Amino acid sequence: MQLRRTGALIGIAAMLGLSVQVAAETLAEDAKKYRVSIMTTLKGHIGAASMTVRGLVDDNGQLAGHAAGLVSGTAELNNIFQEGSAVDHSEALPSIWEQPEKFAAAIKQAQEATVAFQEAVAGGDGEAIGAAFRTMGKSCGGCHDDFREEHDH
Amino acid sequence: MTISAKNMITSIEIRAVASVAALFFAGAIMAADESLVTKGKYLLHAGGCITCHTKDEEDAIPLAGGRALESPFGTFYSPNITPDVDTGIGGWSDDDFTTALWEGLNPEGDHYFPAFPFTAYTGISRDDALAIKAYLFSIDAVSRTNLEHDLPFYMSTRLAAGAWKLRYFDAGRFTPDTEQSDQWNRGAYLVRHFGHCGECHTPRGRLGVLLEDEELAGNPEFGDDETVPNITADKKHGIGRWSLSDIEYFLDIGMLPDGDFTGGAMGAVIEDNTSQLTREDRLAIATYIKSLPAKQIVL
Repeated sequence: MQLRRTGALIGIAAMLGLSVQVAAETLAEDAKKYRVSIMTTLKGHIGAASMTVRGLVDDNGQLAGHAAGLVSGTAELNNIFQEGSAVDHSEALPSIWEQPEKFAAAIKQAQEATVAFQEAVAGGDGEAIGAAFRTMGKSCGGCHDDFREEHDH
Repeated sequence: MTISAKNMITSIEIRAVASVAALFFAGAIMAADESLVTKGKYLLHAGGCITCHTKDEEDAIPLAGGRALESPFGTFYSPNITPDVDTGIGGWSDDDFTTALWEGLNPEGDHYFPAFPFTAYTGISRDDALAIKAYLFSIDAVSRTNLEHDLPFYMSTRLAAGAWKLRYFDAGRFTPDTEQSDQWNRGAYLVRHFGHCGECHTPRGRLGVLLEDEELAGNPEFGDDETVPNITADKKHGIGRWSLSDIEYFLDIGMLPDGDFTGGAMGAVIEDNTSQLTREDRLAIATYIKSLPAKQIVL
Protein backbone atom coordinates (compact mmCIF):
# COMPACT_ATOMS: atom_id res chain seq x y z
CA MET A 1 0.00 0.00 0.00
CA GLN A 2 2.77 2.34 1.03
CA LEU A 3 4.81 1.41 -2.04
CA ARG A 4 1.77 1.99 -4.33
CA ARG A 5 1.25 5.46 -2.88
CA THR A 6 4.97 6.32 -3.30
CA GLY A 7 4.86 5.04 -6.86
CA ALA A 8 1.84 7.20 -7.58
CA LEU A 9 3.56 10.28 -6.21
CA ILE A 10 6.65 9.59 -8.31
CA GLY A 11 4.45 9.11 -11.39
CA ILE A 12 2.69 12.43 -10.80
CA ALA A 13 5.99 14.20 -10.25
CA ALA A 14 7.40 12.64 -13.41
CA MET A 15 4.31 13.77 -15.40
CA LEU A 16 4.87 17.24 -14.08
CA GLY A 17 8.45 17.05 -15.32
CA LEU A 18 9.90 17.37 -11.89
CA SER A 19 13.20 15.82 -10.91
CA VAL A 20 12.52 13.05 -8.45
CA GLN A 21 14.86 11.65 -5.86
CA VAL A 22 13.68 9.10 -3.37
CA ALA A 23 15.64 9.88 -0.25
CA ALA A 24 15.75 6.51 1.44
CA GLU A 25 17.76 6.43 4.62
CA THR A 26 19.84 3.28 4.59
CA LEU A 27 19.66 1.29 7.80
CA ALA A 28 22.95 0.66 9.56
CA GLU A 29 22.58 -3.11 9.27
CA ASP A 30 21.95 -2.85 5.54
CA ALA A 31 24.91 -0.53 5.08
CA LYS A 32 27.06 -3.07 6.87
CA LYS A 33 25.70 -5.96 4.77
CA TYR A 34 26.37 -4.02 1.59
CA ARG A 35 29.90 -3.24 2.75
CA VAL A 36 30.55 -6.91 3.48
CA SER A 37 29.19 -7.82 0.03
CA ILE A 38 31.51 -5.38 -1.67
CA MET A 39 34.48 -6.61 0.33
CA THR A 40 33.58 -10.23 -0.45
CA THR A 41 33.38 -9.34 -4.12
CA LEU A 42 36.81 -7.74 -3.95
CA LYS A 43 38.17 -10.81 -2.21
CA GLY A 44 36.76 -13.02 -4.96
CA HIS A 45 38.32 -10.97 -7.73
CA ILE A 46 41.69 -10.81 -6.00
CA GLY A 47 41.72 -14.49 -5.12
CA ALA A 48 40.86 -15.50 -8.69
CA ALA A 49 43.26 -12.99 -10.24
CA SER A 50 46.10 -14.19 -8.01
CA MET A 51 45.80 -17.71 -9.41
CA THR A 52 46.60 -16.35 -12.86
CA VAL A 53 49.18 -13.85 -11.66
CA ARG A 54 51.03 -16.62 -9.82
CA GLY A 55 50.96 -18.75 -12.97
CA LEU A 56 48.90 -21.50 -11.36
CA VAL A 57 46.14 -21.32 -13.99
CA ASP A 58 45.99 -19.98 -17.54
CA ASP A 59 44.29 -16.70 -18.27
CA ASN A 60 41.25 -17.44 -20.38
CA GLY A 61 40.58 -13.77 -20.85
CA GLN A 62 39.14 -13.36 -17.37
CA LEU A 63 42.03 -11.47 -15.77
CA ALA A 64 40.94 -8.23 -17.40
CA GLY A 65 37.45 -8.81 -16.01
CA HIS A 66 38.78 -9.34 -12.51
CA ALA A 67 40.89 -6.19 -12.83
CA ALA A 68 37.81 -4.23 -13.94
CA GLY A 69 35.89 -5.64 -10.98
CA LEU A 70 38.61 -4.51 -8.63
CA VAL A 71 38.58 -1.02 -10.08
CA SER A 72 34.82 -0.67 -9.74
CA GLY A 73 34.79 -2.33 -6.32
CA THR A 74 37.45 -0.06 -4.86
CA ALA A 75 35.68 2.96 -6.39
CA GLU A 76 32.70 2.02 -4.24
CA LEU A 77 34.82 2.14 -1.08
CA ASN A 78 34.05 5.85 -0.93
CA ASN A 79 30.39 5.05 -0.31
CA ILE A 80 30.26 2.04 1.95
CA PHE A 81 31.65 3.25 5.25
CA GLN A 82 28.58 5.03 6.51
CA GLU A 83 29.15 6.36 10.01
CA GLY A 84 27.24 4.29 12.56
CA SER A 85 27.30 1.17 10.39
CA ALA A 86 29.78 -0.75 12.54
CA VAL A 87 27.05 -3.06 13.81
CA ASP A 88 26.46 -6.83 14.07
CA HIS A 89 30.05 -7.86 14.86
CA SER A 90 31.42 -5.52 12.25
CA GLU A 91 35.19 -5.64 11.79
CA ALA A 92 35.30 -1.95 10.85
CA LEU A 93 37.35 -0.12 13.48
CA PRO A 94 36.36 3.26 14.94
CA SER A 95 39.60 4.64 13.47
CA ILE A 96 37.77 4.79 10.11
CA TRP A 97 35.63 7.65 11.40
CA GLU A 98 38.15 9.00 13.91
CA GLN A 99 40.85 9.50 11.28
CA PRO A 100 38.88 10.35 8.13
CA GLU A 101 41.78 11.92 6.27
CA LYS A 102 44.07 8.97 6.88
CA PHE A 103 41.30 6.57 5.87
CA ALA A 104 40.53 8.55 2.71
CA ALA A 105 44.21 8.43 1.80
CA ALA A 106 44.26 4.66 2.31
CA ILE A 107 41.21 4.24 0.07
CA LYS A 108 42.75 6.47 -2.58
CA GLN A 109 45.89 4.36 -2.49
CA ALA A 110 43.85 1.20 -3.04
CA GLN A 111 41.95 2.80 -5.90
CA GLU A 112 45.12 3.94 -7.61
CA ALA A 113 46.66 0.51 -7.10
CA THR A 114 43.72 -1.26 -8.76
CA VAL A 115 43.80 1.15 -11.70
CA ALA A 116 47.53 0.51 -12.07
CA PHE A 117 46.84 -3.22 -11.94
CA GLN A 118 44.21 -2.91 -14.66
CA GLU A 119 46.65 -0.97 -16.82
CA ALA A 120 49.34 -3.57 -16.24
CA VAL A 121 46.93 -6.35 -17.24
CA ALA A 122 46.07 -4.40 -20.41
CA GLY A 123 49.80 -4.06 -21.11
CA GLY A 124 50.25 -7.84 -20.91
CA ASP A 125 53.73 -7.84 -19.34
CA GLY A 126 53.79 -10.66 -16.79
CA GLU A 127 56.41 -9.05 -14.56
CA ALA A 128 54.60 -5.72 -14.52
CA ILE A 129 51.33 -7.50 -13.72
CA GLY A 130 52.97 -9.33 -10.82
CA ALA A 131 54.50 -6.13 -9.47
CA ALA A 132 51.20 -4.23 -9.76
CA PHE A 133 49.38 -7.07 -8.02
CA ARG A 134 51.90 -6.98 -5.19
CA THR A 135 51.44 -3.21 -4.78
CA MET A 136 47.69 -3.65 -4.81
CA GLY A 137 47.94 -6.32 -2.12
CA LYS A 138 50.10 -4.06 -0.02
CA SER A 139 47.45 -1.35 -0.16
CA CYS A 140 44.81 -3.85 0.99
CA GLY A 141 46.94 -5.12 3.85
CA GLY A 142 47.94 -1.61 4.90
CA CYS A 143 44.32 -0.53 5.15
CA HIS A 144 43.34 -3.67 7.06
CA ASP A 145 46.23 -3.07 9.42
CA ASP A 146 44.92 0.31 10.53
CA PHE A 147 41.19 0.11 9.98
CA ARG A 148 40.01 -3.49 10.35
CA GLU A 149 39.75 -5.53 13.49
CA GLU A 150 42.42 -8.16 13.69
CA HIS A 151 40.88 -11.58 13.33
CA ASP A 152 41.75 -15.21 12.84
CA HIS A 153 41.65 -16.46 9.31
CA MET B 1 124.82 -3.92 -11.60
CA THR B 2 126.37 -4.29 -8.16
CA ILE B 3 125.24 -6.89 -5.72
CA SER B 4 123.91 -4.30 -3.35
CA ALA B 5 121.90 -2.70 -6.16
CA LYS B 6 120.51 -6.12 -7.06
CA ASN B 7 119.57 -6.70 -3.47
CA MET B 8 117.92 -3.29 -3.36
CA ILE B 9 115.81 -4.06 -6.43
CA THR B 10 114.90 -7.43 -5.01
CA SER B 11 113.91 -5.72 -1.80
CA ILE B 12 111.74 -3.24 -3.70
CA GLU B 13 110.20 -6.08 -5.66
CA ILE B 14 109.45 -7.99 -2.49
CA ARG B 15 107.88 -4.94 -0.92
CA ALA B 16 105.84 -4.29 -4.03
CA VAL B 17 104.62 -7.87 -4.10
CA ALA B 18 103.90 -7.68 -0.38
CA SER B 19 101.91 -4.47 -0.86
CA VAL B 20 99.89 -6.00 -3.67
CA ALA B 21 99.30 -9.08 -1.56
CA ALA B 22 98.29 -6.94 1.41
CA LEU B 23 95.88 -5.01 -0.76
CA PHE B 24 94.53 -8.25 -2.18
CA PHE B 25 93.98 -9.76 1.24
CA ALA B 26 92.54 -6.52 2.62
CA GLY B 27 90.14 -6.51 -0.33
CA ALA B 28 89.30 -10.13 0.29
CA ILE B 29 88.67 -9.43 3.97
CA MET B 30 86.48 -6.45 3.12
CA ALA B 31 84.57 -8.58 0.63
CA ALA B 32 84.20 -11.29 3.26
CA ASP B 33 82.99 -8.71 5.80
CA GLU B 34 80.52 -7.35 3.28
CA SER B 35 79.30 -10.83 2.53
CA LEU B 36 78.91 -11.53 6.26
CA VAL B 37 76.98 -8.30 6.73
CA THR B 38 74.71 -9.14 3.79
CA LYS B 39 74.10 -12.60 5.22
CA GLY B 40 73.44 -11.08 8.63
CA LYS B 41 70.91 -8.65 7.24
CA TYR B 42 69.04 -11.50 5.58
CA LEU B 43 69.06 -13.55 8.77
CA LEU B 44 67.95 -10.54 10.78
CA HIS B 45 64.79 -10.54 8.67
CA ALA B 46 64.44 -14.30 9.13
CA GLY B 47 64.74 -13.80 12.88
CA GLY B 48 62.01 -11.20 13.09
CA CYS B 49 64.31 -8.85 14.98
CA ILE B 50 63.11 -5.69 13.24
CA THR B 51 59.45 -6.08 14.17
CA CYS B 52 60.00 -6.31 17.91
CA HIS B 53 63.02 -4.05 18.20
CA THR B 54 61.40 -1.15 16.35
CA LYS B 55 58.80 1.09 17.91
CA ASP B 56 55.32 0.68 16.45
CA GLU B 57 55.22 4.18 15.01
CA GLU B 58 55.59 5.62 11.57
CA ASP B 59 59.15 6.83 10.96
CA ALA B 60 60.44 4.90 14.00
CA ILE B 61 64.18 4.23 13.85
CA PRO B 62 64.69 0.55 13.04
CA LEU B 63 66.20 -1.62 15.77
CA ALA B 64 66.41 1.22 18.32
CA GLY B 65 63.84 -0.59 20.50
CA GLY B 66 60.96 0.81 22.51
CA ARG B 67 58.17 -1.35 21.13
CA ALA B 68 55.59 -2.32 23.74
CA LEU B 69 55.01 -6.07 23.78
CA GLU B 70 51.77 -6.81 25.60
CA SER B 71 51.52 -10.17 27.31
CA PRO B 72 49.43 -11.81 30.03
CA PHE B 73 52.43 -11.19 32.32
CA GLY B 74 52.68 -7.46 31.75
CA THR B 75 54.16 -5.14 29.15
CA PHE B 76 57.71 -5.61 27.97
CA TYR B 77 59.61 -2.92 26.09
CA SER B 78 62.11 -4.10 23.53
CA PRO B 79 65.68 -2.81 23.92
CA ASN B 80 67.88 -0.83 21.60
CA ILE B 81 70.08 -3.22 19.58
CA THR B 82 71.90 -0.65 17.48
CA PRO B 83 75.67 -0.46 18.09
CA ASP B 84 75.48 2.48 20.48
CA VAL B 85 77.94 1.68 23.26
CA ASP B 86 75.98 3.33 26.07
CA THR B 87 72.38 2.47 25.26
CA GLY B 88 72.67 -0.31 22.66
CA ILE B 89 74.88 -3.35 22.14
CA GLY B 90 77.97 -1.55 20.83
CA GLY B 91 80.13 -2.85 23.67
CA TRP B 92 79.19 -6.49 23.24
CA SER B 93 81.69 -9.18 22.27
CA ASP B 94 80.85 -12.11 20.02
CA ASP B 95 80.41 -14.30 23.07
CA ASP B 96 78.16 -11.72 24.73
CA PHE B 97 75.96 -11.86 21.66
CA THR B 98 75.76 -15.64 21.40
CA THR B 99 75.21 -15.94 25.15
CA ALA B 100 72.25 -13.60 24.88
CA LEU B 101 70.75 -15.63 22.05
CA TRP B 102 71.59 -19.06 23.35
CA GLU B 103 71.32 -18.70 27.12
CA GLY B 104 69.06 -15.70 27.63
CA LEU B 105 71.68 -13.83 29.62
CA ASN B 106 72.92 -10.28 29.20
CA PRO B 107 76.66 -9.44 29.42
CA GLU B 108 76.27 -8.78 33.16
CA GLY B 109 74.87 -12.27 33.61
CA ASP B 110 71.31 -11.14 34.30
CA HIS B 111 68.47 -13.26 33.00
CA TYR B 112 66.27 -12.10 30.16
CA PHE B 113 62.55 -12.65 30.43
CA PRO B 114 61.35 -15.08 27.77
CA ALA B 115 59.56 -12.22 26.02
CA PHE B 116 62.95 -12.19 24.27
CA PRO B 117 62.69 -15.49 22.38
CA PHE B 118 66.02 -16.97 23.43
CA THR B 119 64.07 -20.20 23.89
CA ALA B 120 63.89 -20.27 20.07
CA TYR B 121 67.15 -18.48 19.23
CA THR B 122 69.10 -21.03 21.25
CA GLY B 123 68.97 -23.25 18.16
CA ILE B 124 70.75 -20.74 15.91
CA SER B 125 74.27 -21.69 14.82
CA ARG B 126 77.25 -19.58 15.90
CA ASP B 127 78.05 -18.62 12.30
CA ASP B 128 74.52 -17.37 11.72
CA ALA B 129 74.41 -15.56 15.06
CA LEU B 130 77.67 -13.75 14.36
CA ALA B 131 76.50 -12.80 10.86
CA ILE B 132 73.54 -11.06 12.51
CA LYS B 133 75.90 -9.33 14.92
CA ALA B 134 78.09 -8.21 12.02
CA TYR B 135 75.08 -6.61 10.38
CA LEU B 136 73.91 -4.96 13.60
CA PHE B 137 77.39 -3.52 14.10
CA SER B 138 77.37 -2.15 10.53
CA ILE B 139 74.34 0.10 11.03
CA ASP B 140 74.28 3.56 12.57
CA ALA B 141 74.39 3.70 16.35
CA VAL B 142 71.33 5.31 17.89
CA SER B 143 71.36 6.69 21.41
CA ARG B 144 68.05 5.69 22.95
CA THR B 145 67.76 4.63 26.55
CA ASN B 146 65.82 1.44 27.13
CA LEU B 147 62.48 1.61 28.92
CA GLU B 148 61.73 -0.33 32.08
CA HIS B 149 59.27 -3.17 31.64
CA ASP B 150 55.85 -2.68 33.19
CA LEU B 151 55.37 -5.91 35.15
CA PRO B 152 53.46 -7.13 38.21
CA PHE B 153 55.33 -7.35 41.52
CA TYR B 154 56.07 -11.08 41.24
CA MET B 155 57.93 -10.42 37.98
CA SER B 156 59.75 -7.36 39.22
CA THR B 157 63.07 -9.14 39.62
CA ARG B 158 65.02 -10.97 36.94
CA LEU B 159 65.50 -13.78 39.44
CA ALA B 160 61.96 -14.78 38.50
CA ALA B 161 63.16 -15.21 34.93
CA GLY B 162 66.09 -17.26 36.21
CA ALA B 163 63.81 -19.57 38.17
CA TRP B 164 61.60 -19.98 35.10
CA LYS B 165 64.58 -20.87 32.94
CA LEU B 166 65.89 -23.37 35.44
CA ARG B 167 62.59 -25.21 35.31
CA TYR B 168 61.54 -24.84 31.69
CA PHE B 169 64.45 -23.93 29.43
CA ASP B 170 66.96 -26.19 27.71
CA ALA B 171 69.67 -24.54 25.64
CA GLY B 172 70.87 -26.29 22.48
CA ARG B 173 71.64 -25.79 18.79
CA PHE B 174 69.39 -27.08 16.04
CA THR B 175 70.16 -30.60 14.92
CA PRO B 176 68.87 -31.62 11.50
CA ASP B 177 66.59 -34.64 11.30
CA THR B 178 68.40 -37.01 8.95
CA GLU B 179 65.16 -38.75 8.03
CA GLN B 180 63.75 -35.54 6.60
CA SER B 181 64.68 -33.64 3.44
CA ASP B 182 67.06 -30.69 3.37
CA GLN B 183 64.09 -28.47 2.56
CA TRP B 184 62.16 -29.70 5.60
CA ASN B 185 65.19 -29.19 7.84
CA ARG B 186 65.73 -25.68 6.51
CA GLY B 187 62.06 -24.97 7.19
CA ALA B 188 62.27 -26.41 10.70
CA TYR B 189 65.34 -24.27 11.44
CA LEU B 190 63.59 -21.14 10.17
CA VAL B 191 60.24 -21.80 11.85
CA ARG B 192 61.40 -23.09 15.22
CA HIS B 193 64.48 -20.99 15.74
CA PHE B 194 64.75 -17.93 13.51
CA GLY B 195 61.10 -17.10 12.89
CA HIS B 196 60.12 -18.25 16.41
CA CYS B 197 56.61 -18.75 15.00
CA GLY B 198 55.63 -20.82 18.00
CA GLU B 199 56.01 -17.83 20.31
CA CYS B 200 52.69 -16.59 18.97
CA HIS B 201 51.11 -19.62 17.29
CA THR B 202 51.71 -22.31 19.92
CA PRO B 203 49.41 -22.43 22.95
CA ARG B 204 50.95 -21.94 26.37
CA GLY B 205 50.43 -23.74 29.63
CA ARG B 206 51.26 -22.70 33.18
CA LEU B 207 53.67 -19.78 33.51
CA GLY B 208 53.67 -19.22 29.79
CA VAL B 209 55.41 -22.46 28.87
CA LEU B 210 54.90 -23.44 25.23
CA LEU B 211 53.00 -26.71 24.84
CA GLU B 212 55.36 -28.48 22.45
CA ASP B 213 52.86 -31.24 21.64
CA GLU B 214 50.53 -28.57 20.31
CA GLU B 215 53.12 -26.87 18.10
CA LEU B 216 51.56 -24.05 16.04
CA ALA B 217 48.03 -25.11 17.03
CA GLY B 218 47.02 -21.54 17.85
CA ASN B 219 46.97 -19.48 20.98
CA PRO B 220 43.58 -18.66 22.45
CA GLU B 221 45.09 -16.36 25.09
CA PHE B 222 47.71 -14.25 23.42
CA GLY B 223 47.08 -11.24 25.59
CA ASP B 224 45.02 -8.11 25.13
CA ASP B 225 42.01 -10.37 24.29
CA GLU B 226 43.70 -11.50 21.12
CA THR B 227 43.83 -14.98 19.70
CA VAL B 228 46.40 -16.30 17.25
CA PRO B 229 45.32 -18.80 14.61
CA ASN B 230 45.96 -22.48 14.43
CA ILE B 231 48.33 -23.08 11.50
CA THR B 232 48.58 -26.85 11.68
CA ALA B 233 47.21 -29.04 8.92
CA ASP B 234 43.74 -29.37 10.43
CA LYS B 235 41.32 -28.66 7.59
CA LYS B 236 38.64 -27.08 9.72
CA HIS B 237 40.52 -25.17 12.38
CA GLY B 238 43.96 -24.86 10.80
CA ILE B 239 45.33 -24.29 7.32
CA GLY B 240 44.99 -27.85 6.06
CA ARG B 241 43.32 -26.66 2.88
CA TRP B 242 46.19 -24.35 1.99
CA SER B 243 48.68 -25.56 -0.61
CA LEU B 244 52.43 -25.07 -0.32
CA SER B 245 52.05 -22.30 -2.87
CA ASP B 246 49.28 -20.67 -0.81
CA ILE B 247 51.48 -20.57 2.28
CA GLU B 248 54.49 -19.31 0.34
CA TYR B 249 52.44 -16.55 -1.28
CA PHE B 250 50.86 -15.59 2.04
CA LEU B 251 54.32 -15.19 3.56
CA ASP B 252 55.32 -13.14 0.53
CA ILE B 253 52.47 -10.63 0.18
CA GLY B 254 50.01 -11.43 2.97
CA MET B 255 47.20 -12.77 0.80
CA LEU B 256 45.05 -15.61 2.08
CA PRO B 257 43.83 -18.24 -0.38
CA ASP B 258 40.37 -16.64 -0.43
CA GLY B 259 41.75 -13.29 -1.57
CA ASP B 260 41.64 -11.57 1.81
CA PHE B 261 44.70 -9.74 3.07
CA THR B 262 46.05 -9.96 6.57
CA GLY B 263 46.95 -6.90 8.60
CA GLY B 264 47.86 -6.37 12.24
CA ALA B 265 50.71 -8.28 13.84
CA MET B 266 51.02 -10.84 11.04
CA GLY B 267 51.00 -8.06 8.46
CA ALA B 268 54.05 -6.59 10.18
CA VAL B 269 55.74 -9.99 10.34
CA ILE B 270 55.24 -10.41 6.60
CA GLU B 271 56.35 -6.91 5.70
CA ASP B 272 59.44 -6.89 7.92
CA ASN B 273 60.45 -10.49 7.71
CA THR B 274 59.00 -13.22 5.54
CA SER B 275 58.55 -11.09 2.41
CA GLN B 276 62.29 -10.36 2.60
CA LEU B 277 63.20 -14.04 2.38
CA THR B 278 63.87 -15.99 -0.79
CA ARG B 279 61.04 -17.98 -2.33
CA GLU B 280 63.06 -21.14 -1.56
CA ASP B 281 63.12 -20.29 2.14
CA ARG B 282 59.40 -19.49 2.18
CA LEU B 283 58.71 -22.83 0.51
CA ALA B 284 60.93 -24.52 3.09
CA ILE B 285 58.85 -22.89 5.83
CA ALA B 286 55.67 -24.03 4.11
CA THR B 287 57.04 -27.57 3.77
CA TYR B 288 57.77 -27.77 7.47
CA ILE B 289 54.44 -26.27 8.54
CA LYS B 290 52.52 -28.61 6.22
CA SER B 291 54.24 -31.58 7.83
CA LEU B 292 52.99 -30.81 11.32
CA PRO B 293 50.18 -33.01 12.66
CA ALA B 294 46.69 -31.54 12.47
CA LYS B 295 45.45 -30.18 15.77
CA GLN B 296 41.89 -29.30 16.48
CA ILE B 297 42.20 -26.48 18.93
CA VAL B 298 39.15 -24.27 18.59
CA LEU B 299 39.94 -20.65 19.32
